[in-house]
Amino acid sequence: MFRCRNLIAWSHPWRFHFWKPIAWATFLAITLPCWEVLVGVPLTLAQQDSNSNTGDAAQTEPARQTVDFNRDIRPILAENCFYCHGQDANQRQADLRLDQRDAAIEMMAIVPGDLQESQLMQRIISDDPDLLMPPATSNRHLSEEQKEILRQWIQQGAEYEVHWAFQNPTRPALPEVREETWCRTPIDRFVLSQLESISLAPSLEAERTTLIKRLYADLIGLPPSPEQVRSFVADPDPLAYEKLVDQLLDDPHYGERMALPWLDAARYADSNGFQQDGDHWQWIWRDQLVRLLNENQPFDEFTIWQLAGDLLPDATEQQKIASGFNRNHMLNGEGGAIAEEQRWVNLFDRVDTTATTWLGLTMACAQCHDHKYDPITQTEYYQFLDAFNRVPERGVPRYYSSRIRLDDPVLELPTEENSQRIAELEKQLQQHQEILNQATENAFEGWLAAIPQSDQAALQHAVYAEAKPEVLEIVSTAVEQRSAMQQEQLRTFLRQYFDQKVVGGLSKLSGLNDRNRVRDQLNGYRADQIPRVMVMSDGQPRETHRLDRGQYLSPLEKVQFGTPAFLPPLTEAAAGGNRLDLARWLVSDQHPLTARVQVNRMWQYFFGQGLVKTSEDFGVQSSFPLHRELLDWLAVEFRQQGWDVKAVQRQILLSATYRQDSHVSAAAAQRDPANEYFSRAARIRMPAMILRDWALAASGLLNGDMGGAPVYPYQPDNVWESLAITKERDFTYPESSGAQLYRRSLYSFWRRTVGPANMFDSSNRQTCRVRAPITSTPLHALTTLNDPTWVEAARHLAGTTLLQHRSEGSEQAFDYRAAIRAAIFQVLCRPAAEQEVEKLLTSFERWTEKYQQQADQASELLNVGASEREPAIPQAEHAAMTVTCLTILNLDEALTRE
Amino acid sequence: MERLPNPILNGLARRQFLQNTGAGVGMAALGHLLGQEVGSVQAETSSAAQQGAAGLPELPHFPPRAKRVIVMWQGGGPSHVDLFDEKPLLVEKKGQDIPDSVRGSTRLSTMSSGYAKWPCQPAIKPFQSYGQSGLRLSSMLPNLGTLADDLCLVRSMHTEAVNHAPGVTFFMTGSQIPGRPSMGAWLTYGLGSESENLPAFVVMTSSDKGKTCGQLFYDYYWGSGFLPSRHQGVRFQNTGDLVPYLANPNGLDAAVRREMLDNLASLNQQHLADVHDPEIETRIAQYEMAFRMQTSVPDLVDFSDETAATLERYGPDVMNKGTYANNCLVARRLLERGVRFVQLMHAGWDQHSNLFTQLEGQCRDTDAPSAALIQDLKERGLLEDTLVVWGGEFGRTPFGQGDPVNPKGRDHFGRAFSWLLSGAGIEGGRTVGATDEFGWNITERPIHVHDMQATLLQLCGIDHTRLTYRYQGRQFRLTDVHGELVTEILG
Repeated sequence: MFRCRNLIAWSHPWRFHFWKPIAWATFLAITLPCWEVLVGVPLTLAQQDSNSNTGDAAQTEPARQTVDFNRDIRPILAENCFYCHGQDANQRQADLRLDQRDAAIEMMAIVPGDLQESQLMQRIISDDPDLLMPPATSNRHLSEEQKEILRQWIQQGAEYEVHWAFQNPTRPALPEVREETWCRTPIDRFVLSQLESISLAPSLEAERTTLIKRLYADLIGLPPSPEQVRSFVADPDPLAYEKLVDQLLDDPHYGERMALPWLDAARYADSNGFQQDGDHWQWIWRDQLVRLLNENQPFDEFTIWQLAGDLLPDATEQQKIASGFNRNHMLNGEGGAIAEEQRWVNLFDRVDTTATTWLGLTMACAQCHDHKYDPITQTEYYQFLDAFNRVPERGVPRYYSSRIRLDDPVLELPTEENSQRIAELEKQLQQHQEILNQATENAFEGWLAAIPQSDQAALQHAVYAEAKPEVLEIVSTAVEQRSAMQQEQLRTFLRQYFDQKVVGGLSKLSGLNDRNRVRDQLNGYRADQIPRVMVMSDGQPRETHRLDRGQYLSPLEKVQFGTPAFLPPLTEAAAGGNRLDLARWLVSDQHPLTARVQVNRMWQYFFGQGLVKTSEDFGVQSSFPLHRELLDWLAVEFRQQGWDVKAVQRQILLSATYRQDSHVSAAAAQRDPANEYFSRAARIRMPAMILRDWALAASGLLNGDMGGAPVYPYQPDNVWESLAITKERDFTYPESSGAQLYRRSLYSFWRRTVGPANMFDSSNRQTCRVRAPITSTPLHALTTLNDPTWVEAARHLAGTTLLQHRSEGSEQAFDYRAAIRAAIFQVLCRPAAEQEVEKLLTSFERWTEKYQQQADQASELLNVGASEREPAIPQAEHAAMTVTCLTILNLDEALTRE
Repeated sequence: MERLPNPILNGLARRQFLQNTGAGVGMAALGHLLGQEVGSVQAETSSAAQQGAAGLPELPHFPPRAKRVIVMWQGGGPSHVDLFDEKPLLVEKKGQDIPDSVRGSTRLSTMSSGYAKWPCQPAIKPFQSYGQSGLRLSSMLPNLGTLADDLCLVRSMHTEAVNHAPGVTFFMTGSQIPGRPSMGAWLTYGLGSESENLPAFVVMTSSDKGKTCGQLFYDYYWGSGFLPSRHQGVRFQNTGDLVPYLANPNGLDAAVRREMLDNLASLNQQHLADVHDPEIETRIAQYEMAFRMQTSVPDLVDFSDETAATLERYGPDVMNKGTYANNCLVARRLLERGVRFVQLMHAGWDQHSNLFTQLEGQCRDTDAPSAALIQDLKERGLLEDTLVVWGGEFGRTPFGQGDPVNPKGRDHFGRAFSWLLSGAGIEGGRTVGATDEFGWNITERPIHVHDMQATLLQLCGIDHTRLTYRYQGRQFRLTDVHGELVTEILG
């Protein structure tokens, strides 16, 4: 944390301090001459991040003529100044804020057009360490280029602008371009005009084999079959590409592929996390998500369902299920956990997730204090949070069974099978109950016969020790003198005594054990087997208070629901409203963020990086988009098309930009190394989930069934070892069998405390993630080389391709060359090059020889995986071809969407 | 040193590797994979001493006192009043309530916050003086006691967490809520790796024999948060492959694998020549390193080169995989091979109801291995630049939990507790901080989680305020916006 300590101590108000003669002299002597040189520096170099560890690639942009506050100035001020001179009053030093022009001018930090009078300028170039801004202790440093551009800005009048992302987008005019013929869609004009500004030509259109592999990878996450590739490549229809796009947008696997990034944002998993790590039924929400994406539910309606489906008038079951989006967070059920503390943890998570996913804002920063950079006050944070603070929940999960733990509220969704099983058990229960009732009656009569009921001596019996006087009187009365009512009264008394004190000790009553067993079975079944999806509800309104430093035990003043003032206001009706109003507000036509944030993530999905690279943050600290106009055009298009997701995706997919080759030309390597100009298509290592699906599908093992309870594909034996130290439940991994082993990765059980071992580089599904960094570690290579999933896929691929290429007239001989060619086609979706085949064939022959000599090794390798081996293929050849196919599955080209 | 020269630190071996790959892996790609600064790899031929240079060019911020870190995490909350912080008054007032004036409004777990009685519960075994310094430790820790003059006993730790997972997460990541990068991830991100064949950040887990604790180890205790995921700790498993998928598939031997990788490299190289994407170079290096890891990792658990005396020092469990003792010895071997951050996660200190039956055994099982690891480092000359941390997420209540007349255990207690530090030039044989006579309130030099983190980073040559990463528009760091250096520890 840096503080301008010397500033506070020395000079208040700030402006008086600068007039130290020494500083002036130094300034004139040293700094002025340099300016002559510096003026020629391209302005946009100022965009380079002086902080090398920011995780963002340095930008290399062409020269620009005029200073643009949003593009050139705000990033410098935000990074270097706003922490102490921004909107957080508690953090503000020397009473100076630089985020507002009037305030900065009033304090003479900025005097438009006058560099000498502008103390901001003087302080940033000071060579007096006590005066220099930002101070050395701040770990911030302005480059010469940044100082230069600030100088120009002040000279030009120091105009401020509202942060670009906070202004409602309007549809920009299409830019003029020289190579109009290249452009297929409006998108291309935006991309091309930027490319032309750096004199870089776009790449050629990719080969059709590349295009079809790319479209399949992007839209359904599965490889096309060789027949599909051949037919697309040969299709003479000029609209062949468009047809393919439309076909894939309509493919049911589309929803499965598109669900993955949404599941990351929704921090979806199949268990709660923490000790006990109870399982839950949120996969019902997941299945609905896939369906809604396939149905192309308009994004405005989708938003309302996800955030507030439960609050719609006469909400349907489906609408309520959709609201489970904000119940997908972790739940801490540790012994001793303070429920209210955990409830607040969940509330903060909902705010954070909602803000990141829809607004692209880091609202979490305002949990403890006013946001340091964006105009979100702490009060506004809690006003926003109020919409989520009405859920009748405990904060910690409730025990249902050793497996299932859920927090309220839940929507019970008994299946047909549940109802049948419950009816069955209830019937059994009734039968056993009847037997037991009869046995109880008999036991009572037997017991009754042994109880003395008349004369004084009887009164000594323990049964009467606590009897009321009336009862004692009856017993004292001679039997024949008792009235019928008295007889009845005595019997009732004895029956009560029997029921309360005797029957419980009779463990051998006929039917008792059966009745108890079935009763427990029924209760256990109800708790463990009836699907209950956790959903939202406003069933428990609470007062919301601002919390001192975000501490739930330190409530300050009460707040009412509201949205941040810098964003468009809620409608009058919605003021004092609820989550539904919040959801509607997000998708209102005036909202500057929602549409931009969504189209940016679409772009990120198809191009590997967003137009705004910080797709999780559109605030003042975000990276400025080089293609801001394109972003706005897409955002407006999205809204005007009725929030039609597939329509906007189609626009992107049909663009010449998307259809480019991914080869890196020498010119592009130099002028667009990070592909920020989209001078080529992106090469993206496919996510681990898709890599697995790809291997399964290419080898023919994939089971394409959709939906349902999670499955348990191969994991190392010890995958849940670290959980197994608990005695509270059995954490043995319940590996699936048969076809369930080969379902898409989307359906693999995701244990929140220990994710699947082979799903490397994935979001951890613990908190909201909208951008997944792709890394390469040796552990990833070990996974695709050694995981039985890939080895079995290789074995299966080897088997199928060999069987498809039997030599004529022989059951036992195969055309190995053709088989290798076919395997390459299956995985890489293109014909093999002869030199590839040659190389692989040479090794294949060597390995065949080896496995012929070491039959046990061949047999061991072929035993990997649960599926049956093709017995028609000789073992040595099959083993050698398995290694060959494993090689193919591990090629960079197989792992990469190109 | 009679031990074999470390192959990883042997420049020749490295050059051989690079020649052997046939594909001509670029140094840049290799350095990238290893999280190393490229410059350091290139400088290797001129001076082996220059190895292990920064992952980030500006790091370390100053000469580090520790080049590597071993965290012996004692999960569950080791009882400071039984082990480290002797309180004669608790003996004197046994069974009497701890006064309200002492307790104040301390936030306790819901297991004891509703109590009406707060009976003083003295240490279950006597303390004794150890070493020349006369450091007072429990008589249940005789082996650590022999190293008293090398130990800095910190008695004034405190945390806000009342439960295990948030408490551990707080120490490991600087936040009680999961999702931030862990300390090991920060360190390897900032400082890079010293080892080419092993991950820079390794985690091993173990539990007490009776598995009484019920504490789980979550992967976010060693997660990379928003840092690139290659910085996340690699957890060695206790059964099966040490690292997932380390072993070749059955029936596919090293020779076949080598040829397979040669084919991969060559075909990838062709593709690189075609598409010119430098990421393909990284891919080739990635597969080569995976191959080498397949031999270097199993070597870690092959103790055949350890002397009988050494093995004996770690106690009877040393040969049993998955025990704390076994993990301690593997940890030493990792540290010797240049692994920067080793995090041992041991559970078993959560004595709610078994203080009198379990604590002593737990001490017996951890005392010798902990001491052996420190002793081994010392004898090998590694202790002076290795930072050793022994501690848990909180301490335990000075009052007894359960029946107030006859308590069976102690509840979680974050208001005051103790840690042990050693190595990295930290002066031993002394204590830092103090608590009141009930062991309830800190009376001297309170040290918060963030303060300790700042101090540990400082020992590694890192200014905790300057190791930052930009995420969601903000510069994040391990210590959030807090953390004051504990000069009493640094000396």
